[in-house]
Amino acid sequence: MTVGQQTADETATPARGWGLNTWDSPWLNFKFLLGVAIVGLILLFGLLGPLFWDTDLAYTGAGPLNKPPVWQEGGLPEHPLGTESNGRDMLAQLILATPSSLKVGFLAAIIGMGIGMVLGSVAGYVGGWWDHVIRTLSDSAVTIPALVVLVVIASYVQMTDTTAMALILAAFAWPGPTRLVRSQILTLRERSYVRMAHLSGAPALEIMFVEMLPNMLPWLAASLTGGISVAILGATGLEVLGLGPTRVPSLGLIINQATTNAALVRGLVWWWLPPIIILMVIFVGFFLMTIGLDEIANPRIRQFSSSRRERSAAGEAPPVEHMDGGSAAGRDAALEVDDLHVHYFTPRGEVIAANGVDFSVRKGEILGLVGESGCGKTTVAMAILQVVQAPGRIVQGEVRIEDQDLVSLSGKELREVRWRDLALVPQGAMNSLNPVTPIREQMGDAILAHENIGRVELEQRILGLLNDVGLPERVINMYPHELSGGMKQRVCIAMAIALNPQVIIADEPTSALDVVVQRVVAQTLLEVKDRLGVSMVMIGHDMGLQAQLVDRIAVMYAGNLVEVVPVESAFSEPLHPYTQLLIESIPSIKERKPLNVTEGLTHDLRNPPPGCIFQFRCQHVEQICRERRPDLVERDDDHLVACWLYEPERHALIELEEA
Amino acid sequence: MRGLTKEYVLQRFLMYLLTIWLGSTLIFVIPRLAPGDPVSEMVGRLSIDAGYIENADKLIESWKARFGLDAPIHVQYFRYWGNVFRLNFGYSLSHFPTEAWTMVSDALPWSLGLLTVATVLSFSIGVTIGSLMGWRRTPRWLQLILPSSLTFTAIPYFMFGIMLIYLVAFELDWLPATGAYSRRVDPGWNLPFIKNVLTHAILPVVSIVLTSMGGWALGMRGLMISVNNEDYFLLAQVKGLSPTRIFFRYGVRNAILPALTALALGLGGLISGSILVEFIFAYPGTGYTLYQAIISQDYTVTQAIANLIILVTATSVFLLDLLYPFIDPRITYKRTMR
Repeated sequence: MTVGQQTADETATPARGWGLNTWDSPWLNFKFLLGVAIVGLILLFGLLGPLFWDTDLAYTGAGPLNKPPVWQEGGLPEHPLGTESNGRDMLAQLILATPSSLKVGFLAAIIGMGIGMVLGSVAGYVGGWWDHVIRTLSDSAVTIPALVVLVVIASYVQMTDTTAMALILAAFAWPGPTRLVRSQILTLRERSYVRMAHLSGAPALEIMFVEMLPNMLPWLAASLTGGISVAILGATGLEVLGLGPTRVPSLGLIINQATTNAALVRGLVWWWLPPIIILMVIFVGFFLMTIGLDEIANPRIRQFSSSRRERSAAGEAPPVEHMDGGSAAGRDAALEVDDLHVHYFTPRGEVIAANGVDFSVRKGEILGLVGESGCGKTTVAMAILQVVQAPGRIVQGEVRIEDQDLVSLSGKELREVRWRDLALVPQGAMNSLNPVTPIREQMGDAILAHENIGRVELEQRILGLLNDVGLPERVINMYPHELSGGMKQRVCIAMAIALNPQVIIADEPTSALDVVVQRVVAQTLLEVKDRLGVSMVMIGHDMGLQAQLVDRIAVMYAGNLVEVVPVESAFSEPLHPYTQLLIESIPSIKERKPLNVTEGLTHDLRNPPPGCIFQFRCQHVEQICRERRPDLVERDDDHLVACWLYEPERHALIELEEA
Repeated sequence: MRGLTKEYVLQRFLMYLLTIWLGSTLIFVIPRLAPGDPVSEMVGRLSIDAGYIENADKLIESWKARFGLDAPIHVQYFRYWGNVFRLNFGYSLSHFPTEAWTMVSDALPWSLGLLTVATVLSFSIGVTIGSLMGWRRTPRWLQLILPSSLTFTAIPYFMFGIMLIYLVAFELDWLPATGAYSRRVDPGWNLPFIKNVLTHAILPVVSIVLTSMGGWALGMRGLMISVNNEDYFLLAQVKGLSPTRIFFRYGVRNAILPALTALALGLGGLISGSILVEFIFAYPGTGYTLYQAIISQDYTVTQAIANLIILVTATSVFLLDLLYPFIDPRITYKRTMR
């Protein structure tokens, strides 16, 4: 359960403040709460027990010897759980032993956590030499087998009470929290909201408590509950070996006395089993708390389980609805996207990420798909590629290449079409290559998945492809971390053209690169396109770049296509008010003009308004825009737009009808 | 750039030495930090047990001299280190003419065998289960069955061991309860003996494997889920690779790296737990020998075993570290960059 903790989640929504009072708070995790309840009950048993039962019976000679529990033959009502070989009452022993076992665990883990937080913060915040020393120490301390050292210490030092034992255990409880706090601080301080707080001059302590601690809290809590059970385990281990405090009753000591008195062989089950059961329940309780907290801390795990539950609830992939298969529409289309609807099924409702998207890409053409972030352009790309991530799903529509609908394909059929007909130049080339295998293998497996060729030929192919994108031959044996960002992106392009596909989806292929490299990569893409005659969908928000590369532009807003236009007309006479806004916002060196993009906000995607989706930000909004959604219709030659402004006749007709 | 670099090996080796130094020093220092000194404590305990001891003061003095505890602390420390380095821990106090080191090296193979088998089994089973749990394409029926393998995760090995002894050895009488082999067989490379050893090892191994594999499974599940969201994982799907290849080369191959680190870091805990397992099963490995040495107040053997266990743990971690750059090509690069 500690393994996953290193991979702090980048997509986690930052928590600010504590947010414990809402009903959808992540803290209301079933496993976590069940664990709390279990440990709470055990604690109550230990704390309230003395009020109901005479704990003096826990001492030698309090009753007859070796009596079984009351429900067995020979059991006595005054000793409901029986007695052991010294005549001690089991119930009384358990009542005394339980809280002392818990106390050791809590005390040791809390002290260890305290030390860990101090050391971890120093290492993470101060850094430098301190970081080095603390990291090295905790790294090596964590590998020392604690119980061995504890056993040796316990053999020298007679531990008189549980506090002394807790202190010694704490000496082994700090490395875990130290490593955790350090890595969390290092991750969190790079996050933009923490940087913002720094820049705004907030004092370090405030940043720590307001910005960082709430985000670290689930991790810390998971580390604490894990630490408590490890400490209880350590203490119990010593007690079972007979090296713990011998005068204070403890669960481990009862087990020790039972085993050394051969209770197992003699069949005195009621002697050794109850302490083990209580310990198991305690461990299960803390274990549930720990994995519950892990889920709270790592939203991906939560998402994974909930998306699985959702899929089983909704039934696996319900049949996708199709409009009429109007494949005749595309005369010379390489790719046709037909009435594509993609919804994300979130706990707070369906997010409509693509709402009837309809376009086609002609052979040898580059279509630019533009729009602001969150408008659904990447979702459309993923839907074309049939890799919409859960909880998202294509609920309707077709994606056709050569009259074959990809949405209806699955398994082997889909795998065969992929890459051979439809390839991807991914958005984050930085992370799109497998970090642990050389380029040779990653390009090779794409080719080998579709073609059966020998080793030598494969190598020649790969070298040829690298050459095509202007990379030196030695790249074939390199690993992704040895390449620069631009080189990685060119490897991705080389990979995309490996099978000479019909269509390449380029998802913001230059977005993470600096301007010079951007030009090189864009140039490479153009060259490749011209040589192979491949069709492309180029996704991006950089209108300047689009202007240089694409043949037609498709503009998306809030999941809808609002305009599809040849690139020259897009800049000379954009029709849709949103497109006009986008063109206007391109910075110009010649004249400075005010930016007016941020007028109004996009509506809630879960609940699109009736009428035009752009109505809240549109300067020309009229009554009809609020009532009816405009269709995407062809205005001029090859220029499609969805706006009432350009349909006065229909507008008038509708008004007439309603009157 | 790739594989083992001199800096990396040197750095790991220094870490290795530091771990040994830290562990051994803890064993040396902490008893001396405690109020009172070990010898007085021991004599005190003796006199409680026996009621009264004649000339307790003189006894303490002479024992201190015997253990070299009358020398200044830094002299003791250097002497201690000289002994650790030469693996010279003196004679066993309870089995006098035998050297402490001999007793320890007799016990070591048993522990190494038991632990290696148990660790390899629990890690590989756990990682397999976890990988399948974190993989979206795992068949539904398997997804429903797999979590049941986590049932025993929260239970410490030794408690599970006690219950196994009671159920399987005493009640059902299927397998031997304790020891590493029966008295009636001849130790040596003969079939009956090997069979005997294996039957004795089943219960301890099972109690370690069943209780520890769930931890690996949970960790691996989380790692696989993270990898599922990586861009390279998506690209692998888009490339039309077969699910098996994506699962192994893109999923498990990446997710297992942190799991291996966790294995290296978790070895100490595994070894700690095995002491108790050996105690419960009276298995004649280092853990059990350590326990007996402590019960018979055999300090030389105690120190020898503790140091040996630390040495073996650190060596295993060091070996895993040396293996790591071959599995993760980024590692030496990252380390030397820092």
